[in-house]
Amino acid sequence: MTCECAGIERKKADCERVEGANNLINVFGFFDRGDDFADCIEYFTISALFSFVFLLCFFAAVHETSEDDPRISNYIQILIREIEATQTHFDQHPPLQTIFFGGGTPSLVPPRLVAKVLETLRSKFGLCLDAEISMEMDPGTFDAKKLKELMGLGVNRVSLGVQAFQEELLKACGRAHGLEEVHEAIEIVGSCGVENWSMDLISSLPNQTQEMWEESLRLTIEAKPTHVSVYDLQIEKDTKFGSLYTPGEFPLPSDTQSAKFYRMASRKLAEANYNHYEVSSYSKNGFECKHNYTYWINKPFYAFGLGSASYINGTRYSRPKKLKDYTTYVQNLEGGLVDIQEDDVDEGEMAMDIVMLSLRTSKGLELKSFREDFGSAVAVELCKVYEPYMKSGHVAFLDYRRREITEDEFSSLVLDDEKLENEIGFIRLSDPDGFLLSNELISLAFGVMDP
Amino acid sequence: MATNLKLFLSSKPPPHDNYHHCTRTTNLSRHLLPFPVSNRTFCSLHSFRSSKNNSNDYSRSRRRSYRVCNKAADVQSKDVSDAAEVTVLAGRDRLLKILRLEVQVPTENIRNFSIIAHIDHGKSTLADKLLQVTGTVPSREMKEQFLDNMDLERERGITIKLQAARMRFMHEDRPYCLNLIDTPGHVDFSYEVSRSLAACEGALLVVDASQASLSIFYRVGPFSLNYLCYYGLPWFQDGVEAQTLANVYLALENNLEVIPVLNKIDLPGAEPNRVVQEIEEVSSQEAIVIGLDCSNAIYCSAKEGIGIKEILNAIVQRIPPPLNSAGRPLRALIFDSYYDAYRGVIVYFRVIDGTVKKGDRILFMASGKDYFADEIGVLSPNQLQVDELYAGEVGYISASIRSVADARVGDTITHYSRKAEQSLPGYKEATPMVFCGLFPIDADQYSYFLSYYLPQKLHCYGTFLPSSVISLIGIIRCNRFPDLRDALDKLQLNDAALKFEPETSSAMGFGFRCGFLGLLHMEIVQERLEREYNLSLITTAPSVVYRVNCTNGETVECSNPSLLPEPGKRRSVEEPIVKMVGDFFDQLKSRSKGYASMEYSFIGYKESDLIKLDVLINSEGVEPLSTIVHRDKAYSVGRALTQKLKELIPRQMFKVPIQACIGTKVIASESLSAIRKDVLAKCYGKCGDISRKKKLLKKQVIAAGKKRMKAIGKVDVPQEAFMAVLKLEKEVL
Repeated sequence: MTCECAGIERKKADCERVEGANNLINVFGFFDRGDDFADCIEYFTISALFSFVFLLCFFAAVHETSEDDPRISNYIQILIREIEATQTHFDQHPPLQTIFFGGGTPSLVPPRLVAKVLETLRSKFGLCLDAEISMEMDPGTFDAKKLKELMGLGVNRVSLGVQAFQEELLKACGRAHGLEEVHEAIEIVGSCGVENWSMDLISSLPNQTQEMWEESLRLTIEAKPTHVSVYDLQIEKDTKFGSLYTPGEFPLPSDTQSAKFYRMASRKLAEANYNHYEVSSYSKNGFECKHNYTYWINKPFYAFGLGSASYINGTRYSRPKKLKDYTTYVQNLEGGLVDIQEDDVDEGEMAMDIVMLSLRTSKGLELKSFREDFGSAVAVELCKVYEPYMKSGHVAFLDYRRREITEDEFSSLVLDDEKLENEIGFIRLSDPDGFLLSNELISLAFGVMDP
Repeated sequence: MATNLKLFLSSKPPPHDNYHHCTRTTNLSRHLLPFPVSNRTFCSLHSFRSSKNNSNDYSRSRRRSYRVCNKAADVQSKDVSDAAEVTVLAGRDRLLKILRLEVQVPTENIRNFSIIAHIDHGKSTLADKLLQVTGTVPSREMKEQFLDNMDLERERGITIKLQAARMRFMHEDRPYCLNLIDTPGHVDFSYEVSRSLAACEGALLVVDASQASLSIFYRVGPFSLNYLCYYGLPWFQDGVEAQTLANVYLALENNLEVIPVLNKIDLPGAEPNRVVQEIEEVSSQEAIVIGLDCSNAIYCSAKEGIGIKEILNAIVQRIPPPLNSAGRPLRALIFDSYYDAYRGVIVYFRVIDGTVKKGDRILFMASGKDYFADEIGVLSPNQLQVDELYAGEVGYISASIRSVADARVGDTITHYSRKAEQSLPGYKEATPMVFCGLFPIDADQYSYFLSYYLPQKLHCYGTFLPSSVISLIGIIRCNRFPDLRDALDKLQLNDAALKFEPETSSAMGFGFRCGFLGLLHMEIVQERLEREYNLSLITTAPSVVYRVNCTNGETVECSNPSLLPEPGKRRSVEEPIVKMVGDFFDQLKSRSKGYASMEYSFIGYKESDLIKLDVLINSEGVEPLSTIVHRDKAYSVGRALTQKLKELIPRQMFKVPIQACIGTKVIASESLSAIRKDVLAKCYGKCGDISRKKKLLKKQVIAAGKKRMKAIGKVDVPQEAFMAVLKLEKEVL
């Protein structure tokens, strides 16, 4: 009952806060969850077994939040209840290896509440000593003191949502922070001695010019993060952003233009010794985001919080996206009423997941294990389907020692299926051409797998 | 919905007590026949038969039971629109029939006629009016273009298949039986026209009194008319008057009585007198021959119902009755036929000599096959069973004919026991002028594309329809080849001008090379196959027949550019004299303001400097896009073609060169730029992201067509592209 009331209260508060907020919500469509924002104040997701995610979003509420905002503490309470009510699916599961607090602005959560969450997780699942604990932080939502406190709790990786280095672009994309806060945040992160931190950038924003993008990249490199995420603006149809702009049309850059942005990022960051290890992720050696990597190699993870999705025993499960529904869900979970079905995992779906996720990484698809799991026929078909794209430079075939197979070698291999599957160790998309067309290329593979 | 056509068995002498008789036939009258809109559908007459047996005295007194007349009991004279006098007459006519039970119409009271007209000069409207005024079709069932019962005909407002309708008309208190054989106006279907004319003694020449120039008539030598009629003019698009003239000549050649009718006199711009002059005028110049006597031309307005009675009277008065040769051995000319799924082949024929009765053992003289006539009847215009048909009459026969080949159009029907000595002349074989390949594709796999293209399909109605997207190398071989063969077989029965033979293509698998009278014909056949036989087809670019003189002295006829002998082996290439499939007449007419001297001595071939133009897409030759062009046009055609293909082919992941070549020499080149970017930036475990993304990509797979994978590295070429070849020639030349 209390929860219910709190939910209503919160809703009211939301409404008062409002129109401005709504704008933001929609403008954030490209944040890949814009639609989820509508009703929620907080997000909290954990991915576990190996990972743990915490998502919080506050959009415009930034300035109203105080240490003891009841909305935050209430939400955290529900979240903790969810963690506690969750069944552990392995009797002797290894302790968590990564935890990620993400989704919106978790940096708004008071450190003492973060501590509570971490404590709960630790007691429930155990935590590796060297676990990667990341937190998404937005400029303007934290100061040195807070960051230090968080670090004291074990947070050892910061993902800084800078997005752009131009005041007008920050405004245009509805960020709450300005350029000043960006520089401030970078300084704080540096001064606090966070060794492992990532900078998020968005390309293809409305009115973004090549010069601006070049500047953003330059300043990013100068800030020396160990990791850079470069996202291309995705316009979602049902968001306000979607109704305002059409992809490829002014003021959004054309396809050619945004392809240029992508190439430029790939080139500039490579020059600065960043490895392009996934479609939109770059890192210095050894600083890949372990947490995200778990997703990409299709390993299971727990998730907690509003709208979060877990992947356990081959089943993806998304929690409700509205606070009220989520509260009910947690109640049901506590009462043992939630049945996250563990039906037979569809092998084809699994294969598609693996192909989709691994082809987005520079490591590529490991053919041997794929073949063992899903059979030679599919593996061979996959190789054949990509043959022409090897010639066009979109796809590379590697042997087990990761040496690239030449066209001539391939054309002799392709005559003999057995040879083909034995010789080819990896299939990967080329950088940047293959990555740029990853959707097309992956859907080709889907065509083979699910004819 | 049952119509109110009721059947009456007529008897002679008619009972004196009309009322009594009507009562007796009540049970017959109750059998309302569910007449469908299309007379292609069989209307069951079982009830008719059984009731007949029940009234024994009735059958006994029946002398000629073919006296089937129909009436529309609910049609009052007021229903029949404006032409008051005619209306009354028609109404009274029907009334008379009902009361007097109709005496037999002797041969001298039969008139067989057809209507010749330009497209849009009002032929179908006039036919509608005749049916309505004579009460053949009750007003409430009347719809525009009544005889055009193919959906396609209505949609396009043209007549494709000839149709027959039997009408009753009272003239000077004598009942007449008028058989209208409707003809297609478009020249592509002139073969159909010749068929209907052969079954007639007269024709109405309908001319639009408001449209000016018939001048194009004048420069046409009669000599070329055979060509016009029998060979078709593939390059005719439509609206060309010469076809009408051709049909008039055809009529005159057949010794048909031609009655000029000036239609649309109600229009403000109508100048019937001038038009009459034009028709009558005998030019000083050599070729003109029309010179019809128009002193008694009829002025009418089919739309307003003006002059309809006069037309009917003229038909009776001026068109000679068929020869009464009922005593001779049976000879009936098959002028049309179609395949009915339940009854087998249904044959439409005109009895020339003798009589044919239900149950007769009949023989098809050309095929030598014999059958028992299960059912004979008249077309009014729906099929109505009768027991016997006499010389001069038009009707249909159903004889459980299984094979299409047994009862070909043009064949003569005779009695098995009393054979005619000589068969009727029949028809000249229609010579196809335009050829193209038809290949079946699997509809399911392409349903996406079909729906995608549907709006465009509607949009470009009347032009070529992209039926689907095909992948050239995609090898869309599917097992619908037998279905296509079957469909073509059946269609050919209905459309004797259609020719086909199997063809294989590396790109498209098994299909047929088909010959057509013209472009419209081709288009119609393609559409009928798709609609009536539920096939999905792709069509290659049309081509005419070229004559290739080889170095070894041989002459090869070639209609398929991909089969053109190697350049080294050919000495010269001849083409039919007028540049093919282009929009020749439109141009001729506009450039000469209608006074073009059509000096084309249509007959024969002329040696020309022709070369084969190949198209390479992504460096691969695309056979179906090859075309034969004049050397001096090759450059412009090539350039236009590559440009068009660039527009039509979707962008690929790589740059695609599109080239036009003569031999190995590239004469025009374009390139299709690659897709720049198609990537979703984020893909994390958060918030169902992975599932969502997977869904998106799956959609992309479906959108690309599941067979896309087979076309990998190759280029998907839309069907439209094939048509582009043709269109371009038109634009370029």
